Amino acid sequence: MKSLALVILFAPALAFAKKPPEPPAGPPSKAVTNEVLDEIAEEMNRDMKELEIPGAPKPYSISYKVTEVDVNDVSAELGQTMSKRNRHFVNLEARVRVGSPKLDNGNFVVAEATEIDGTAAINLPLEMDKRLAKRSTWLVTDQAYKEALIQLNAKLEARKAGGTLRPSDVPAWTETKPVVSEEPVLVPPLESLDELETRAKTISATLREQAGLRESHVALTSYLERRWYITTEGTAVTDTRRASGVLIEVEGQADDGQLVHNYFMRYGHTGKDLPTDKDLTGEAKHLGESIAALAKAPVMEHYTGPVLFEGEGAVGLVRFSLAPNLGGTPVPEGLSPQEARTFGGALTDKTGLRVMSPQLSVTDDPTAKDGDNKALIGGYKIDDEGVAAQKVDVIKDGVLKTLLLSRTPSQKDQVSNGHARRTADGGAFHGSATNLFLTAKGGVGRKALESRLISAAKGEGLKYGVVVRRFDDAAITGAPEFTRRELVQMIKTTDMQLPPPLIVAYKVYPDGKEELVRGTQLAEIPIRVWKDIIGTSTERTVYNFLAATESQLSLRLQGGTDDGFVPSGGIESAIITPDLLVKELDVFGSTAGERPTPAVPRPTGK
Amino acid sequence: MPFASYAFPYMRKPFALVVVAACSGGAGGKSPAKPVPPPLPGNLAATELPNIPAKIEVVTSAPTDASAPDKKSPLLDVMKAENEREMAALAKTGTPAYYLGYQLVEQRIVSLEAEGGALVTDQDDVARNLDVEVRVGSPELDNTRQLADDTNGLNAPLTRRGDVPFGDDKEAIASALWLETDRRYHEAVSALNYVKQDQQTLQKAKKYDPDFAHEPTETHIEAPAKLEFDKAQWVDRLKRCSKGALKGAATRGTCGVVFQLNTSYFVNSEGTVLQTSWTNAQLSVSVGVKADDGMNLSRLEQRFGVAPKDLPGDGEVDKMIKTVTDDLDALHDAPLAEPYVGPAILQGRASGVFFHEVFGHRIEGHRQKDTTSGQTFASYVGKDIAPEWLSVYDNPEIETLNGIQVNGFYRFDDEGVRAHKAQLIDHGKLVGFDMGRNPIAGFPHSNGHGRRSPGLPPVARQGNLVVEAAKSVEYADLEKMLIEEVKKQHRPYGMVFTDISGGFTNTSAFAPQAFKVNPVMAYRLYPDGHKELVRGIDISGTPLVALQSIRAASRQIETFNGVCGAESGWVPVSASAPSLLIEKLEIEKGFIPPDRPPILTAPAIQKEKP
Repeated sequence: MKSLALVILFAPALAFAKKPPEPPAGPPSKAVTNEVLDEIAEEMNRDMKELEIPGAPKPYSISYKVTEVDVNDVSAELGQTMSKRNRHFVNLEARVRVGSPKLDNGNFVVAEATEIDGTAAINLPLEMDKRLAKRSTWLVTDQAYKEALIQLNAKLEARKAGGTLRPSDVPAWTETKPVVSEEPVLVPPLESLDELETRAKTISATLREQAGLRESHVALTSYLERRWYITTEGTAVTDTRRASGVLIEVEGQADDGQLVHNYFMRYGHTGKDLPTDKDLTGEAKHLGESIAALAKAPVMEHYTGPVLFEGEGAVGLVRFSLAPNLGGTPVPEGLSPQEARTFGGALTDKTGLRVMSPQLSVTDDPTAKDGDNKALIGGYKIDDEGVAAQKVDVIKDGVLKTLLLSRTPSQKDQVSNGHARRTADGGAFHGSATNLFLTAKGGVGRKALESRLISAAKGEGLKYGVVVRRFDDAAITGAPEFTRRELVQMIKTTDMQLPPPLIVAYKVYPDGKEELVRGTQLAEIPIRVWKDIIGTSTERTVYNFLAATESQLSLRLQGGTDDGFVPSGGIESAIITPDLLVKELDVFGSTAGERPTPAVPRPTGK
Repeated sequence: MPFASYAFPYMRKPFALVVVAACSGGAGGKSPAKPVPPPLPGNLAATELPNIPAKIEVVTSAPTDASAPDKKSPLLDVMKAENEREMAALAKTGTPAYYLGYQLVEQRIVSLEAEGGALVTDQDDVARNLDVEVRVGSPELDNTRQLADDTNGLNAPLTRRGDVPFGDDKEAIASALWLETDRRYHEAVSALNYVKQDQQTLQKAKKYDPDFAHEPTETHIEAPAKLEFDKAQWVDRLKRCSKGALKGAATRGTCGVVFQLNTSYFVNSEGTVLQTSWTNAQLSVSVGVKADDGMNLSRLEQRFGVAPKDLPGDGEVDKMIKTVTDDLDALHDAPLAEPYVGPAILQGRASGVFFHEVFGHRIEGHRQKDTTSGQTFASYVGKDIAPEWLSVYDNPEIETLNGIQVNGFYRFDDEGVRAHKAQLIDHGKLVGFDMGRNPIAGFPHSNGHGRRSPGLPPVARQGNLVVEAAKSVEYADLEKMLIEEVKKQHRPYGMVFTDISGGFTNTSAFAPQAFKVNPVMAYRLYPDGHKELVRGIDISGTPLVALQSIRAASRQIETFNGVCGAESGWVPVSASAPSLLIEKLEIEKGFIPPDRPPILTAPAIQKEKP
């Protein structure tokens, strides 16, 4: 994969005030101008016409994505700056397809050479330079073409050797209507590094007085990404994505040595969408207190029964068990079964069937900028294949209507609905969620839903029910705590199919009393659980986040994303969902993350 | 497979090479007999050379120069207090620490790069990195002892940098020190348990050298250095430079600078307190192209300086551009070389690189006790390994050599030990090693060569390697001697190497004790005196044979400045040497990747045909 490592933060939106007006737009790109794009197009046309190795197929499709990323990142700890940096780069990526739309090189992973995928990338100058733009286009197209030929040969040979389950009447690549929209999409300028630094220091200073913390940090980001697509099909389109985010993360340790974490994360289009400093310092204080409570909380025991997912907990359930299965792009040929499972696929071939409770419907809308009057960052004008974004009703009254599609179809007559996002080995983009809306009929108030949880638990003869309010996210809470031996052991023993641990979960007793528990882990969540949603709330949670491209295990092994600062890899996403009451799930207690208690007391704090 | 490489590419962000330990055969069997050095191969009969030494004039600066006690940062007090607090508390645990070292390096790296006339990189990053070294057990046996069978290095500390806030806030800094100390302490305790278990199963009779050397307490404070440069002016210069570089056959032409401001704060439980601060600057002119057979060809010229103002002016930069572009065009049209064994000349800078790889890495002290290492020179102390007129030393105290600023200057190493000159070869005899705090038989103390990149454990590394020749000839005579040798050996030609891009040397005991260096500019010198540029070759061989094949040296010394990568990361180094006549060198065909040049001609930059 040669996807760009990008930035951004995520943003749940529980504490958002009414959305303020957007700041005035900033200037267009100084690096990628119409002159530059014309040079790229001119070279594209030459390559399309002349690029050929004798005896090998010519390209039938060439496309370019130009990306300009500009990001300011700051992080702070205990009121002091930890990191403060700007990153700005321009990248040109070429994609070449050889063969024909019926059978081409795409969506195939070359064994032992995943980098051979018909794409090539190069950095462009930070300022307009026509000559370099054309020369760079020439070089990356040449490389991508050579790779595409290798990839096609390997694909044909693999099919001869191992066959394919893919129906012969399903094309490899579908046509799409060219999109032309060359007017720059102007967005508000980034918040300055100094502004972000001031906020990070102010918020993180709140945690100086908090007892029981092992580590904490506060990170803010301001980010924009301009994109341009040019294809031999006639598409010439530009778009700009803009986000700002804040993250507060805290870590403590229970008496038995288990590490406990908590975090607070919010994203919006700009800094104006984020909570105020006053609200954020309040959140930081609350998080600090939560660590003290988690450290004293008992480890969860095994439980089978109803589970209520509230707020961010409901978002987590959607994010980790439903969203990955909404993609309709076939898994690239050549992946191992274990790798293939990371692309979901549980709903493939379920179109027209009931897959959820009849009260539930799911819509994905990349054209939405706001939801429930709060900013959504998962949207765009065009997807990663240059196809115009479309609102898609995925599930209606519990019945699967369609999946989120890219230009690589899984069925005959299937065409893209503008959801190509997540990159996969083999150079394909996978149909993926953007702004995912889950709506429910017959919802009740949150308190009433909690009562329903208790009733359901009682009905099962249980002493308590379980409510989940936040999942862990190793991109945020991964820490460099482990020895080499422990890391190797984790690689061997971690069950990749498990959802992330739950970091805020409670037992709820019949009298309404809540008991915080730690070490809480859900068993694997089968997709059929979505048929067993027995209650929803009228309150809805709007949550923005970056879907990391790495697995939770990878993030845990490498100690989080980007040295524990602002997570800087992932796909801008949003989920809007009510609270969800599931009829039955398996929950167990985990002692994972135990470390020796400190040999020497912390030098500061109470 | 431990190896070390000498890398000279233009590096914005150095990446540490990971050393993957090869399978150890273990030491559980019968105790091997003490190795007896084999007789030296080759003919050591001295070639008649004039008793005129090669010219070396050095300016040195002692470790305690530039002291400015009033510029001491409050950070050091915080570090010292936390270090003492930790040591006192850890002393009461079941596994007390006997050594605790903190090194905090604040680094500002400015990277500017232009390609073909346009700016492509503009970065200015500051980072603070903390390294905590905790030792438990005793200096005789501690947590760092290599296990008899630890193929994947699982007992080694995890490679990572600790994070520390900026500023000098006591609470925030102390908290970060505490957390990293706690993590490293528990890691060390875990490692020591495995070490002890391992030792129980090893043969007791074998005598092991200690794991650690205590060193004198040092106190030295330098004033914080300043990094001063005119960014706009540099951007303009780089644009002009890169525009000039992208011509002829080149498909890539870049010019870049990297400016660094480094300040290191060091305290340890022996009482050492150090604050050192320095800048460095690097200018690179680089061009590249694929030859018609797919070979990647590139030329790189670099200049180093203490500060941006020390880098070359426009006139010198123009010469660098001309050198790389002319060379690249010539290489593009040059024939591929054939395998060859025969006499050769390594010109000054190439000679320096050659010595760095062939000799320098093998003389790093810790390799003499590493059970997976070939320990090439461990049994040669006091014995002849090179011509009698040749001496080699490594001296980090050198600031300039023959008027050129050298890259391996430092006052104190990364283990808190003052830099010392290490005499390595004295008139042909092996007399010493570059030493860190890892003692070896006969060399129980450090000579201030323990170095690292942040995040990695320090090991003995080179600084400024200097090859001295007590007898020398003018370079022109060296070429005449080469031609004579060609005739004597009945070879069609001799080889002259003027530039070597880098290379690697294998020090693992599980592979041949061989080196390979990659010449960029290699010429055949024919008996009639004409030269022919060739490409696609590597020089390979074994170190002992290579050193004893040296027959003559030139009067002129050249210095190669670069950055060297090995298991403790990337460190700045230099290698200064005269041109050398080698009686026999083996040349291999280099690797040519299965690729081909671009199918279509360049759209805007066509190769200029004469």
